[in-house]
Amino acid sequence: MKAASIQTDREGHKPPTKDLYSEYRKRKKILFKSQATVFGVITLLALWSLWGTGFNPLSIVTGTYDMFVFMFTDLFPPDFSAIGSLIGPALDTLYMSYVGMVISVLFSLVLGVLAADFLTPHPIIAAISKGITAFLRSVPAVVWAIILVAGIGLGPLTGTIAIGLSGIGILGKAYAEVLNSMDRDQIEGVRATGASWLQVMGQAVWPQFKAGFVSWSLYKLDMNIREAAILGLVGAGGLGYYLQSSISLFQYKTAAMAILMIFALILLVEFVTAKLRERIL
Amino acid sequence: MGETIVEVKQLNKTYPDGTVALKNINIKAYKGEFIVIIGPSGAGKSTFLRSINRLSEPTGGEILFMGKDIVKAGKRDLRKIRRNIGMIFQGFNLVKRLPTVRNVLHGKLGYMSSVKGAFGLFDQKDVEEALDILKRVGLEDQAFKRADELSGGQQQRVAIARAINQTPQLILADEPIASLDPNSSRVVMDYLQKACREEGFTTFVNLHQVDFAKEYADRIIGIKDGEVFFDGTASQLTDETIEALYSKEKTKKQEAVV
Repeated sequence: MKAASIQTDREGHKPPTKDLYSEYRKRKKILFKSQATVFGVITLLALWSLWGTGFNPLSIVTGTYDMFVFMFTDLFPPDFSAIGSLIGPALDTLYMSYVGMVISVLFSLVLGVLAADFLTPHPIIAAISKGITAFLRSVPAVVWAIILVAGIGLGPLTGTIAIGLSGIGILGKAYAEVLNSMDRDQIEGVRATGASWLQVMGQAVWPQFKAGFVSWSLYKLDMNIREAAILGLVGAGGLGYYLQSSISLFQYKTAAMAILMIFALILLVEFVTAKLRERIL
Repeated sequence: MGETIVEVKQLNKTYPDGTVALKNINIKAYKGEFIVIIGPSGAGKSTFLRSINRLSEPTGGEILFMGKDIVKAGKRDLRKIRRNIGMIFQGFNLVKRLPTVRNVLHGKLGYMSSVKGAFGLFDQKDVEEALDILKRVGLEDQAFKRADELSGGQQQRVAIARAINQTPQLILADEPIASLDPNSSRVVMDYLQKACREEGFTTFVNLHQVDFAKEYADRIIGIKDGEVFFDGTASQLTDETIEALYSKEKTKKQEAVV
């Protein structure tokens, strides 16, 4: 509006540089105001959350002391003689993570393709597929495990399915996003040769999708190890279950060994997936 | 005139938002013709080319390709028609992460079983043929490099090789040199024209450069506001016609001279 009035003031002549500069200043001011607002809102939200959680810097200091006392008197030294009985649960955790990942990958591939805007047979199918993944994602693995324990009972099978289900939620969305961000021109180039749907998928979509597919799937495997440990706490087998039972029996030194074992597993899987990623990509 | 390869009759295209891209286009193209289409940006050149292999769906009219109506073709027929029509794009549209030779092999997908093609299981004969075609466009040394490691001009030559490998009756080239420097542009146009002469296929090329059009074309078609504005040989295309073609004012359509 202002710009228009400047123009009529000058009877249709181009506004001179000075007016353009004031326009520049004005825009800059507006930008600054909106940035300040965003920053202010973020700060307020942070303060509110700190108050809501009863955050007290002092408790960190005193808490740290108590924590170290607990660690050194109760947890240390870890009971290394428990290693033998920990191998089984550790393998369970690995199996749960791996099979859980495979389940998620298989179902997510289908759901991801159906949810990707330009691969889906129909927009309604895409919406349904997105809905399913969103639902699976919104329920944490622990909740799935609690529900499944009631149905299937205690044990690694429960953990595997729980990890698999929540994984579909994450990988399904990740795959769909990788697929959506692909270069459509490359796909069009192959489609124009007379290639069938399957051929376009194999020769134009897959080469572009591979890198994202591999790194998301391996990332999920990584996460699954952590998740599997937590799931044990609600009775879904593996190291977590062992950890939970030794804590409730006040065998903290055995528990410490289980924690070390989880740590080692995570490092191992991280190392292996990093190597795999290098190899494949 | 030789055999008719494509006959476009009353072709219309209106986009869902109401924009009219093509209005009653009538064009007949014969075997071996090298036809260059010129016209201002947004005139409908690209839409016209993309309608011929149905990357863009026409809203009316007929396109007879070797006697079959492309507009009415079902999925299976369309696939068969598309394998006989090579397409070359402004952005090359090669699969960048795959080796050059594999991109050329893609020209054979339309002739293979779906599953074999999807997994890239090409016969030895196909591979040898693809390597041979790469040699013809002077890129045998680049055969096993990833497509995106090549320069723009080289990538476009790979795209030409992919199209040749389809053993097409028709080639559609949509602004093939618009993102290339003058030197590479000339090389690409030379290879395209050479391939057209050697293989005897009909070629439609959209171009921005009128001088290139005059130099290479057997026949020039000018499109303006979605209509055929000029249709004739390079020598018939006068400076006045060119000016009228690219001017913003609506001008009376020049009568087709052929």
